[in-house]
Amino acid sequence: MALTSLVFALFSIITVAIYFIVPKKIQWIVLLISSIIFLFYDNLNLETVVQALIILLSSYFCGRLIDKYKENSKKSKAFLILGIFLILTQLVYLKYTNLFLSTANHICNLFNIDYQFKFVQRNSLIGISYYSLIMIGYLVDIFRGVTEAQKNIFKCALFMSYFPILSSGPFIRYEDTKGELYGEHKFSYEFMCSGLVRILWGLFKILVISQRIGMFVDTVWADLNAYRAFFTIAAVLFFPLQLYTNFSGSIDIIMGISEFMGIRLPENFTVPFASSTMTEFWRNWHITLGAWLRDYIFYPLQKSDIMQKLNKKCKKIFGKKVGKKIPLYISMLIMWFAIGVWHGGAYTYIIGSGLLQFLFIFLEDVLEPISKRINNKLGINTEVFSYRLYKTIRTYLLFSFSMIFFRAPSVSGAINAIKSCFMLNNIGALLGRSNLSNLLNNIGLDVKDFIVLSGAIFILFIVEKLALKGNVRKKLFKQNIVFRWTVLYVLIFMIIIFGCYGAGYNPANFIYRQF
Amino acid sequence: MEKEEIYERLNNVFRDVFDDEGIVVKPETTANDIEDWDSLEHINLIVAVEQEFGIKFNMNEVTTMKNVGEMVDIIISRMN
Repeated sequence: MALTSLVFALFSIITVAIYFIVPKKIQWIVLLISSIIFLFYDNLNLETVVQALIILLSSYFCGRLIDKYKENSKKSKAFLILGIFLILTQLVYLKYTNLFLSTANHICNLFNIDYQFKFVQRNSLIGISYYSLIMIGYLVDIFRGVTEAQKNIFKCALFMSYFPILSSGPFIRYEDTKGELYGEHKFSYEFMCSGLVRILWGLFKILVISQRIGMFVDTVWADLNAYRAFFTIAAVLFFPLQLYTNFSGSIDIIMGISEFMGIRLPENFTVPFASSTMTEFWRNWHITLGAWLRDYIFYPLQKSDIMQKLNKKCKKIFGKKVGKKIPLYISMLIMWFAIGVWHGGAYTYIIGSGLLQFLFIFLEDVLEPISKRINNKLGINTEVFSYRLYKTIRTYLLFSFSMIFFRAPSVSGAINAIKSCFMLNNIGALLGRSNLSNLLNNIGLDVKDFIVLSGAIFILFIVEKLALKGNVRKKLFKQNIVFRWTVLYVLIFMIIIFGCYGAGYNPANFIYRQF
Repeated sequence: MEKEEIYERLNNVFRDVFDDEGIVVKPETTANDIEDWDSLEHINLIVAVEQEFGIKFNMNEVTTMKNVGEMVDIIISRMN
């Protein structure tokens, strides 16, 4: 059930309506039933039911046992390890079998062994990468004494499967969310308006911007040999924007539905493209994943005895300043590798959203003193707008580069794309023979798309700029009624008229022609 | 140990970890007040504080501590 589909809209409306009709004490049961329907809507069979039960039962029972034996650290640790083992084993089996098989095939090739493993198709449940980590966090939090285990298995099931977050997150923590999910919520006109505006904004980002950029980016990626140079560079530069509007738009819809019901969730994005370093970028992009990995992988690693011993040794050998950085970089490398792996069982993700991100952050940190010295020597003022703009653009370019791997079908495909950026032959033919209309047709868009896209990106830019200074919706609701409704209607009509609703179904075009 | 003495010793730890002799911590000091105090340096700070006072923070405290005041409260509770 896609977040932008009509089915999902109907499903959400029915859920929200029933949520406010039933007695408040059983509101959470409505959420649970909706979540179960959502979870199995596209994919109900024995396999997926077993998958859901494995995670639910291992996290519920291990959680209870960790709690029961909290005075006996050995026993509670054993149940923590068992719970994590069960959840992770299933995740690895479902998502990463092919990664292991393809690695084995590469090794066979390397040693000239004439055998190739066949890839397997696994039918995994929606959102499994999300709630596997969410439930591991739940177990660790019980072990750490941050929270207590949930005694009601059905409430535990709701925490695991709360339907809005199954497709794109954000990562929730039990202690922060339990009050929201199991609590009683009164209907609030204010929450309804605020939630609806957020949903509309999300739809605008996805349907008007992301899908339209997608038409162009997909066309270029489908035939890199034909497009080359300018076109490939443009596709590479626009892809982060496509990804951002799609991902953050989904989060807006998720947060909007939740807000409507009075349920608050943690934010996942805070204007990431305004960041001036990659470190800052990752503090603003997919925030809840970063925080999860920091709290459950990075910190425990850094505090571990091995790392502390290494820290001491490195300080002795390399001096305090450099020495303390080495274990830090090792933990960071492990964490970024994990981020890459989490994004999917393919080397493209491990490189694109893992190792390259580590490399950029590492280089930023190592080169910072050198760049400070150069700036001082050349008398460059780093406190001005132009310098910050340069750093912001640099960060965007680095992220765009890394996303070549994320977008590419394979590592060799990514290398082809990079090569294609520098291939200048044939470019004259593509540019020279066309006027604007032909040129745009060549890349999967028409003049109308181009104008709509430019306007929509401009609106996005203004809203993001306002968001840097505070909550845009709060500002909107402080305005006069005429302005408020004008903005709302413009947004609604833009989504209806200019939204891209997929190939073969184009109501936007149809309505547009009537005018 | 008096609170004042704890703050004094904490000042030295902070100055050492963040390489800034000008740091003076107060109960309300947070990561926003010290330029280099980000999530990476946070863990180095925690380990340095643990070594200075001979205590151990648990992971819950490491991730939920909001300001220096909370840190000092934990230090006091561990040392008594």
